[in-house]
Amino acid sequence: MPVSFPSIGFFEALRDAMRAAHERFSRLGFFDTTFGVRVFGDGADLAPTEFALTFDVFECTAVRERLDGVGTDFILEGSLAAWRDMLDNVHALGAADTAHSINTLTHFGERLRVRYEDPDGHDKLYRFAESIQEFFDLSAGIDFVYGDGTRPPVRREPLRRSGT
Amino acid sequence: MSYLSTIDFTEDREFVDRFQRAMCGDLDLGWMAVEREQVRCRPQNERRGLTFRDLVVGSYGFTEMPELIRRNRSFAPRGAAMPEGLPDLQADVNRKSEVWAYNVEGYYEEAMSRQWNATTDIPWRELADAQLPEEIGKAYAQLLTFLTEVEMIATDVPCKWMGRLNADFFEVKNFIATQAMDEARHAEIFRKRALSTGFGLMRASAHNEFNLKFLRDADSFAEASLALHLQAEGMVLTLFRFSEYISPTEADKKLFRLVMQDEARHVGYGMQHLKWVIDHFPERREAIHHHLDEAENFVFGAGYATEVLEPFIILAGKGLRKENIQQGVRITQAFQLKQSDEYFERLAKCGLPERRERSRLWKFVELNRQAIAA
Repeated sequence: MPVSFPSIGFFEALRDAMRAAHERFSRLGFFDTTFGVRVFGDGADLAPTEFALTFDVFECTAVRERLDGVGTDFILEGSLAAWRDMLDNVHALGAADTAHSINTLTHFGERLRVRYEDPDGHDKLYRFAESIQEFFDLSAGIDFVYGDGTRPPVRREPLRRSGT
Repeated sequence: MSYLSTIDFTEDREFVDRFQRAMCGDLDLGWMAVEREQVRCRPQNERRGLTFRDLVVGSYGFTEMPELIRRNRSFAPRGAAMPEGLPDLQADVNRKSEVWAYNVEGYYEEAMSRQWNATTDIPWRELADAQLPEEIGKAYAQLLTFLTEVEMIATDVPCKWMGRLNADFFEVKNFIATQAMDEARHAEIFRKRALSTGFGLMRASAHNEFNLKFLRDADSFAEASLALHLQAEGMVLTLFRFSEYISPTEADKKLFRLVMQDEARHVGYGMQHLKWVIDHFPERREAIHHHLDEAENFVFGAGYATEVLEPFIILAGKGLRKENIQQGVRITQAFQLKQSDEYFERLAKCGLPERRERSRLWKFVELNRQAIAA
């Protein structure tokens, strides 16, 4: 049964995939942050969908819907089209290619933006850059559909890690 | 040998007698009778393991550490009994405020758990097959040459200070030991990548080296940390992120993500150190501004040196044709503004919001911003 993006089920599936890849993430090291994901709908009047993801030691320990009352280090936000572009790329290629890494997508805020209040929190995006990239790369192995019922493209390459 | 023992141990009757009695089973055991604070530290979080933070108990902890360490002049680990006769090792840095940072013990643990290997964590075989167009390859090799030069000195600076810190600053000494390892790995990976592009190392940079000499020759650890951890590494962190953005292959992107992780941790220490100083010794604000005035002059010369600026323009524009250069200049300008914004943002967060108004670097960047907008 596929999960839907964006939904709490999608991020819970990523959390479970991370748990299953414990060895891989423990090699990357301590990963301690809470960050938000904000997805703007296609219509101007649609409220954004928000999720808070908490990471502690080597695991994703909490996935919550909405950011109200959650202290986040930073928030990754973008339109559904921008998120979809990234997820389609990861799903098709097994991991993000050069144009779709989180750093590349957010660096100048062209497609995804990073919101933050505290620069120290913002820097956690970079302190844990590889763990965050590999977390999103896990979406290549998730069975999911978009809200309109369409699916990401069929995988053309085996599951892998970005840069390998 | 500049340090000679005042005792010739093989000729010292008392020492030799004691040794011989011990070897006959007549033990002294004076060390065992010393009154100690007995503790049994346990991990607060079993998944994380036993951390330095778990050891912050009683006299072994650092929360009650005074600003000026007068008592321990030796190598005695903090909390150990100190018998008469320990040598005075004349540590250069004995003020907590010169080195301490909020969460320094956490940065150490993070550093230890997030180590990686430049030899095995990068898919070198795939990179060996990656063919870069000549102008891109040369520009990338020049950027890697610049970064190798930077990282060699970034290794030397923490190494220079590590042995000069009072032994009571255990967590800081360990943290800067991890930094030295990180920077050595960065120098290693940039050299390896330069020598695997097919173009080799390109040209050293005089402007860059002026700044590196300034960092190396700082008069105090506090000055070195301000200029290295917060300013230079803060700027280099944005530079690594930009380098990831313009990297020609996935493996190069991975390389820059790995180095940026380490760099961001060093910047974190620098920020938390400056915050500590401003929170506890606000009267040092003026001295900090004076040091930043000079540091910003040097970093401007290094960061905008021909040997780094031009490769950026070529890599960002993806070539040497006129339209490539125009595009490269636009993207590089955006990077410079971002680099400056992030640097001043960090200083403001540390308690120096007025830095923007005082800084000639900020004024230059603002003029540049206005020129771009016009």
